[in-house]
Amino acid sequence: MLSTSRRLTRRQALASAGVGLSAVLAGCVGGGESDGLSTGILDPEQYGSGFAGREPPGGTSMADLPALSGTLDVYSGRGEALVRRVMDAIRSLYPDLTLRVSYGSSSDMVNKILGEGDNSPADVFYSVNAGSLGALAAEGRARELPSELLSVVDEEFQDPEGRWVGTSGRARAIAFNTDRLAAADVPTDIFEFPDRPAFRDEMAWTPSYGSFQAFVTAMRLRQGRPPTERWLRGMLDSGVQAYPDEFALVQAVADGEVALGFANHYYIQRVLDGRQGAPLATAFTQGDAGAVFNVAGAAVTDTSAVPETAANFVRHLLSAEAQEYFAVSTYEYPMIGGVSPVGELPGVDELAPPADIDLSRLSDLGPTIELLREVGAL
Amino acid sequence: MATRTGILDGTEWSEDVPLGLLLLAAAIAAVLLSPLLWVVSSALDASDWVGLATAPRTLSVLVNSGLLVGAVTSMSMLVGVPAAYLTVRTDLPARRAFTILLALPLVIPSYIGAFAFLSAFGPRGLLQAALEPVGIETLPSIYGLAGTTVVLTLYTYPYVYITSRASLLSMDARLVDAARTLSHSRWAAFRRITWPQIRPAVAAGALLVALYTLSDFGTPAVMRFDVFTRIIFVEYNDILGGGRDLASLLSLQLIAVTVVILAVESRVRGSGVRTARSAPGMTVELGRWRWPAVLACLLVVSLALLLPLAILGVWYLNGSASASLDFRLGYVLNSVTIAGVAALLCGVLALPIAYLSSQTAHPAAWIVERASYVGYAVPGVVMGLALVFFGARYGGVFYRQGLILLPLLVFAYVVRFLPQAIGSSRAAFLGVSGSLEEAARTLGHSPGQAFRRVTLPLVLPGIVGGAALVFLTTMKELPATLLLRPPGFTTLVSYIWTVQQAGYYAQAALPAVLLLVVSAGSMLVILASEQYDIGWGRR
Repeated sequence: MLSTSRRLTRRQALASAGVGLSAVLAGCVGGGESDGLSTGILDPEQYGSGFAGREPPGGTSMADLPALSGTLDVYSGRGEALVRRVMDAIRSLYPDLTLRVSYGSSSDMVNKILGEGDNSPADVFYSVNAGSLGALAAEGRARELPSELLSVVDEEFQDPEGRWVGTSGRARAIAFNTDRLAAADVPTDIFEFPDRPAFRDEMAWTPSYGSFQAFVTAMRLRQGRPPTERWLRGMLDSGVQAYPDEFALVQAVADGEVALGFANHYYIQRVLDGRQGAPLATAFTQGDAGAVFNVAGAAVTDTSAVPETAANFVRHLLSAEAQEYFAVSTYEYPMIGGVSPVGELPGVDELAPPADIDLSRLSDLGPTIELLREVGAL
Repeated sequence: MATRTGILDGTEWSEDVPLGLLLLAAAIAAVLLSPLLWVVSSALDASDWVGLATAPRTLSVLVNSGLLVGAVTSMSMLVGVPAAYLTVRTDLPARRAFTILLALPLVIPSYIGAFAFLSAFGPRGLLQAALEPVGIETLPSIYGLAGTTVVLTLYTYPYVYITSRASLLSMDARLVDAARTLSHSRWAAFRRITWPQIRPAVAAGALLVALYTLSDFGTPAVMRFDVFTRIIFVEYNDILGGGRDLASLLSLQLIAVTVVILAVESRVRGSGVRTARSAPGMTVELGRWRWPAVLACLLVVSLALLLPLAILGVWYLNGSASASLDFRLGYVLNSVTIAGVAALLCGVLALPIAYLSSQTAHPAAWIVERASYVGYAVPGVVMGLALVFFGARYGGVFYRQGLILLPLLVFAYVVRFLPQAIGSSRAAFLGVSGSLEEAARTLGHSPGQAFRRVTLPLVLPGIVGGAALVFLTTMKELPATLLLRPPGFTTLVSYIWTVQQAGYYAQAALPAVLLLVVSAGSMLVILASEQYDIGWGRR
């Protein structure tokens, strides 16, 4: 796979960038069309351990996308620990590209772009949630994306006006302990949880955690405040246990401290990956706030001097390799049809998220926090 | 008796304010205040700013902040002054060790300290887990005013401790011995002799505590108490809901509160009572208070220092790690370099302001000195956004290319932390008798020469101590660093933040320990410089 030639073709450069890639992966993926996988995005050890049997990803390989060159400034609200491999892979693929990435919180990055005004260096804003993307677009600072980029992703997961596009997703889920519950015992209606006598003192939540607050926000936006308040009070009356974050919560479910808890789906995968054979499984509610699906995504700023390069960069985040990386490395839901989520997770089309939710409003946490305080959950 | 000799000689010739010096100091203060123009103008741009400013929520934030500042400042004095007294004046066992240990909590960033406190005493924390077997299922909540006060006190009392120590070391303690022979009780001697002498130093330390409390984000965020910084942060995040308006208004209110605190401290501080010379007095024997005193010191050290270290150990052993983000030693170099530059700049820029305000009580000098403190209370995120605004507006292509981000970041540090250097340098200048410089003048030296050859060597330890304090605080600064660091520039704290955000606690432990070790080094510099502080030439 390594080329000794001094003048590498792009495809060869791509292959050689994956020096660390294990033979397992190379063997199972084979050559031909899919050798674009060898960009070194994927952690070979991890890939070797749990995901060796995965189908080669579909979708367009980075090798088949237009080349990137010049200088590109990305403001990333996604953590460096999660996305640096993707950035490094793109860098190693294009020697003519200077990719400058600034990391911070998503809302800091939006505030920074707004404060910088016309002189913002940012070409791409890469956000952890739809809310910050919606905010940037609402302030008139996001540019309409080309239709060939938008067409890659389902309409549900992009701005109706085409100013941002989802690049990976996460579903709200129920983590449950399989020693304590059968899948059939887990309600498919979020409103049934407080009323089940069997769940008394057996449920867990994370009232101070952003993702949980976004879920309550979804409930508030869909059902209104009174039913949401009733649900919260019902949960408290049934002795729900509070945890500081959802990773800790899922660990507690796996330990059997509680029978079930509410969490983003990828925490369950993360715990399962660390503790193989743990009595832990994932369930989803149907068509309500309990199954809200939010996306990380990207926008191109209105002040970018190189909007085509910027949009092409976003397209690279939706390439086969990047999507496969999000699926197996950060356990997120891929946004393109050719890549499936990890483990036993249902495909994104099998989920039943609520249809009537504007994702960009889920970051309106203020009234939710007030409500959580009022009922005594915070 | 303790009389107003010595320094009063200095105020004689200060009637005519050196105009050049005043202009220089005023220019520095004006540059420091300039980022705040953005806060003022965006607050006034806010729609319905009168309504927002008087809304019940805004008022409750104001009250909460006032309560917190009052509580933390009082508690810090209650811990800091006795700790200083015990380590300077008494036969406390292991005094040298305690001297250092009691100063070290200052090196721990509040966001690590508060997490440690929560892991130990929070719901489902270590203490609760330990008590579960005996049937205690829930602990009283540590969230809110009480918990926030405790945590902030534990990590800020060293400001009072350090300034009080320096003052106790430099006072003429033989006066206390004299009072004791005149059958004053120990308490009466402290109240009548010691306290009046150390009061300005305690007030200076308390001021740093009060302003730090206003500006700190990490602790109220973790301990869930709605003060200015926390709500400003929440509102900046609520971009769609128009929160930026409220955030600017709250920032402006915070600055107003700061101005009030600065005025109040100036009155409380007074000029104090100064002795002409410093001399060590007899060591106070603790007697049967010996062990209770040791226990009290141990308690503070355990909570403020050992607990966070233990939690870092737990992170290291139990946390998970990510393969994609290895720690590099270059990050330490980045942190040390940028903090070093900030410290050096602060040491130099503090000189004119500190010297001026030590030499004259002129209102203009007073305003300049007080004005330079305002930036200290401004939360890092507000300072960062203000400089982003000015940098982008006036930096042109240099800003776009990221070339002026590092200078902007250093500037942010200087604006925020210069007061620490001013406080220490001013105390040092106050300790030098004006008559020394006058003597040099009569021997034919120009004012500049007299300053360079007589005063400067005497005050240098104080200036170095102040710069070291700036270094230490800069090392742990997070919010402005995150906003202004150039792409690819990683520091110790930005790395810790990155891995902690992703939940890889094991990877945060080692850099956090490195941060503490490097900062502890500068704390030793601070403690070493105090030994020679005010009046070293005369001991």
